[in-house]
Amino acid sequence: MKTLRLPFDNAQGRRSGRSPKVCILRADGTNCDVELFYAFKKAGGDPEYVNVNQLRDKSKSMQDFQILALPGGFAYGDDIASGKIWAVELVSFFKDELEKFHKKDGIIVGICNGFQVLIRTGLLPFGNIGKMDATLLPNNSGHFECRWVRVRDEKSKRIFWMSINHGEGKFFANNETIKAIETKGLVIFRYIDNPNGSINDIAGVTDPTGRVIGLMPHPEKFMDLTQYPNWRRDKITKPHGSFIFEEMIKYAKENL
Amino acid sequence: MIQTVRVKNNNDSQTAKVYRLEGVSEKQAKILAENLLCEEINQSYTLNKPILRGVTFEIAYKPGVMNPEVASIMKSAKDLKIDLIACDSSREYLDKAPVFNPLIEYMVEREPKTLLIKGTTGKTKIIPIRELSDNELMELSKDKLFLSLEEMKIIQKYFQKIKKEPTDCELETLAQTWSEHSGHKTFKSEIIVDGKKKQPLIERIKQEALKHRKNIVSAFIDNSGVMDFYEGWAICGKGETHNAPSAIEPYGGAMTGSGGVFRDIAGTGQGAKNVISQDVFCFAPPDYPSEKLPEGTLPPKYLLKRVVEGVRDYGNRMGIPTNNGSIHFHEDFRARPTVFVGAYGIMPKKYAKKGEAKLGDLIVVVGGRTGRDGIHGATFSSGEMTEKTKEVNATAVQIGNAIEEKRMFDALLEARDEDLIRVVQDVGGGGFSSAIGEIGENLGVSVDMKKAPLKYQGLSPWEIWVSESQERMIVVLPKKNLKKFVKICQKYNTEASVLGKFDNSKKLNVYFGKEQICNLDMQFLHHGLPKKVLQAIHPRGVKATPGVTEGLLRGGPKSEKEWILVSEKVLSSGDVCSKEPIVRMYDHTVQGTSVLPPFTGVKMDGPNDAVVIRPLLDKPYGMIVAHGLNPALNNIDPYWGSIWAATEAVSNYSAVGGDYKEASLINNYIWPFPDEESLWSLDQSVTAVCDFMKTLKIPVISGKDSLSSTYRGPDGTVIKIPPVLIMSVFGKIPDAKKTVSSDFKKVGSTIVLVGKQNFNNPPHVDLKLLPKVLDTLYKTIQTGKVLSCHDVSEGGLITSIFEMCLGGVMGAIINTSKDFLFNETAGCFIIEVENENVVKKLFQGIPYQILGKTQKQNNIKVDKLFKVSVSQLAQAWKKPMEEIFS
Repeated sequence: MKTLRLPFDNAQGRRSGRSPKVCILRADGTNCDVELFYAFKKAGGDPEYVNVNQLRDKSKSMQDFQILALPGGFAYGDDIASGKIWAVELVSFFKDELEKFHKKDGIIVGICNGFQVLIRTGLLPFGNIGKMDATLLPNNSGHFECRWVRVRDEKSKRIFWMSINHGEGKFFANNETIKAIETKGLVIFRYIDNPNGSINDIAGVTDPTGRVIGLMPHPEKFMDLTQYPNWRRDKITKPHGSFIFEEMIKYAKENL
Repeated sequence: MIQTVRVKNNNDSQTAKVYRLEGVSEKQAKILAENLLCEEINQSYTLNKPILRGVTFEIAYKPGVMNPEVASIMKSAKDLKIDLIACDSSREYLDKAPVFNPLIEYMVEREPKTLLIKGTTGKTKIIPIRELSDNELMELSKDKLFLSLEEMKIIQKYFQKIKKEPTDCELETLAQTWSEHSGHKTFKSEIIVDGKKKQPLIERIKQEALKHRKNIVSAFIDNSGVMDFYEGWAICGKGETHNAPSAIEPYGGAMTGSGGVFRDIAGTGQGAKNVISQDVFCFAPPDYPSEKLPEGTLPPKYLLKRVVEGVRDYGNRMGIPTNNGSIHFHEDFRARPTVFVGAYGIMPKKYAKKGEAKLGDLIVVVGGRTGRDGIHGATFSSGEMTEKTKEVNATAVQIGNAIEEKRMFDALLEARDEDLIRVVQDVGGGGFSSAIGEIGENLGVSVDMKKAPLKYQGLSPWEIWVSESQERMIVVLPKKNLKKFVKICQKYNTEASVLGKFDNSKKLNVYFGKEQICNLDMQFLHHGLPKKVLQAIHPRGVKATPGVTEGLLRGGPKSEKEWILVSEKVLSSGDVCSKEPIVRMYDHTVQGTSVLPPFTGVKMDGPNDAVVIRPLLDKPYGMIVAHGLNPALNNIDPYWGSIWAATEAVSNYSAVGGDYKEASLINNYIWPFPDEESLWSLDQSVTAVCDFMKTLKIPVISGKDSLSSTYRGPDGTVIKIPPVLIMSVFGKIPDAKKTVSSDFKKVGSTIVLVGKQNFNNPPHVDLKLLPKVLDTLYKTIQTGKVLSCHDVSEGGLITSIFEMCLGGVMGAIINTSKDFLFNETAGCFIIEVENENVVKKLFQGIPYQILGKTQKQNNIKVDKLFKVSVSQLAQAWKKPMEEIFS
């Protein structure tokens, strides 16, 4: 198994070759699918919307894709806990499929609600499908918040602006788990201005292979300069969300 | 047998979640607890045992009230291969019961034996009316049909003529269709103003509007107004109030208000996608003394918080950015708040108009199931509010389920793009009776209410027919498309059921199985209500309520200290203060379309005048939405108050760089019951709106009226809520990048006031000058020479400059007459440009005044009057809402 090379600082120039196929997976209440589709497309991928029901009735197969992306939203209303109902569905019906997809070096990425789902399936942070090792709790503020925050990429130390739009984004696990996450270097993004009370300012994590990625902030909402509130005053040359998508596409092109 | 699982967070000993699971074994309940209901990382659970130590109070939704969580639990249990018969979730509290709303919630005192709602279907009743006296007719109408004696008599005559007695279903259908809510009787009436006959209000609006049809795709005929966009796309907009339900159950009221207006967009043409949600509220001041509240009304702070939560929980789940809105406070809203929701959408132009239904076409209901919730919403909201409103109309109140609506919309948009749909119609006020009655007007229809999926058994046929249960829409399609349509619905987990078809009978035929429960002539239903003639009379003596600044400024501040104090008071007043804590709870970046969000600036706390989005991510085209209203000014002068509201809307639109010539208007009238006096002010307001269209040569393309803002107390007190005109404006701009934000960009740049201030109360906007100012502003912003721009509105010039300084984290030195500082003339702008040299060239031919310069020091210095730090003002400006929402 290969490891996806984050940091996101060396994604220059795309390799030639076929555009990697990206499965934008949707469930009832998914609502950041359009911008995620746009982000992958702009980064050179070949995205396609797939409803989880299409996987269940086998009219689509996730094995036909190189990247599996879980968008933000409120899957099944985020009832019981954010992403819970969808996570139960994925674990109940697709445990083997997900393992197979992961083993064949596919990339799995979850943003916001998608991250909450990946955490609740157990895929993050340690790849234990069906066993939760960490959780995302209600924000310290007690409610949904929409604001732009600065996020640091742990390897390159670069700082990115990203939008957060969530009510349950506080990364939490017991001390040993947090320690293990830190020693294994699984934290990929940290908040500069922690908006929700996440332990160790954790904004995003990966699994030990680097090919399962989850984060609360929304890089897909910063693929064009004008999506950033202060594009009129701050001098930014490249949208901050593009790095992560270009990196994933590049990896998929080189390795899958 | 019900298994009860209680779950608590490990760090919380005060509250727990309660899940009741019916039809499963203890072992199965344990599986559900461990895999679904409880997460052991931070929670623990008990099975059929208490979890909190001590006396607990459990608060649950009443049986039959929508609990959105239930469907999710049922689904998830099924995914875990456990079949629940029923379930419920609730919350329990240690020692003390929290505040709850008994209209929708109750305290669980005994464990329920079953969660199933049982009942036998009621029979259709014949209601004899042919022989009733006037008094008996009114008794029948009261608190149920909400029709006038004259209307009841017309109905009586109809049934005398056709020689039968009506069914309950027929009477209900007529009451729904003829309600003020659905029928807009006042706007269609001829009116006599001070003895002079005038055309109906709606006709006057339409006539003027249709003179300006350059961009109109459809106006006044669909669920929203549609205008042209670019490259074969069209955009649409609609505004609606939901005051009556919000007054008694603000959370559910705000949710279902949002849900309803989103369905108006989704039900435009053959279906549009919602891209913007807009919210405007008017309440009594949050600190209004509770002992002064009229009987049967809820405290304004509670209303405010719950309405915000309702908008948040519905809009965020729908994934529609809530990025335009405002909140206003005036004590006369104590009897009934104004809760207004607007929505805007986009669709390919080829789907922007409804297709024509043909004989044999199917009528299909999509989305949620029908329940007893929301019965009589339309008739109820048309009635005045009394202290009894809460008790009599509890069933009119509902909780929304956003996910039900979201998946239905997703399915409908896909079906539209597959060319399957002929007509899509929102099921709103009046339920099926209105939706199906409307689409069937020309051909006639036959539908069977037995085919409507129900939430539970026990509804009478008429209840199914008029229920306003949320998240349902009617789709008309040719029979050959049904299979494909149903398949798409299945993909999105949304239910679709055929109710009936178009039958060319020119009648509204409703069946329950084999029994016919309604047989009405479409002609009578839709045109049987004769147009009324209403009287309007100019009231003697005008009541003036002083505005915030007026009261404070009497005599004028005399020292620097007083000037600062007054500034702080103005900035912390309800209408002016920062609403950021509220806006941050709304998702305004979802869909990734944002180009100008509600707040920008160094600390992203500087408010902007309008929202700009790019609804098509791979295109440069911008869509702009703004609004204006006059919650207090109409009481003083309804004409100039309304001109002010409309000017404020278009100024907000222009301040960000919008070209008003490429915009359309939406007008919403929230008025007291139209007695002679209120009808006079309504006439004035409509005249103002028509004059405004004439001035700018742009049309109103959608609108609505809600004429029931009157409260009658048990002791005879009558409170008229201030008449409010909400003017919304939306339109297009070819390059979304050519727009500006309000935050000051550079130290040392020149600050200019553009436009002409007026010192009447309300200020009289110079309508001759307005188009010139707006046009110049647009062209100037297009050149790229405007660094920032903010319109002048509530709080006056000083407020605009303060907000611009805050956004830019800088200060300003200005020099102007003290009369100008707090003046609130709409149509004036504060503009930042590089230097004085460009000013003359840019603003030639329109009134302007150079006010001063931006500066690095973080204070505002008004020459010869006072100097104050921006952060001191910011504190005053931010405090009121922070206190309520943190």
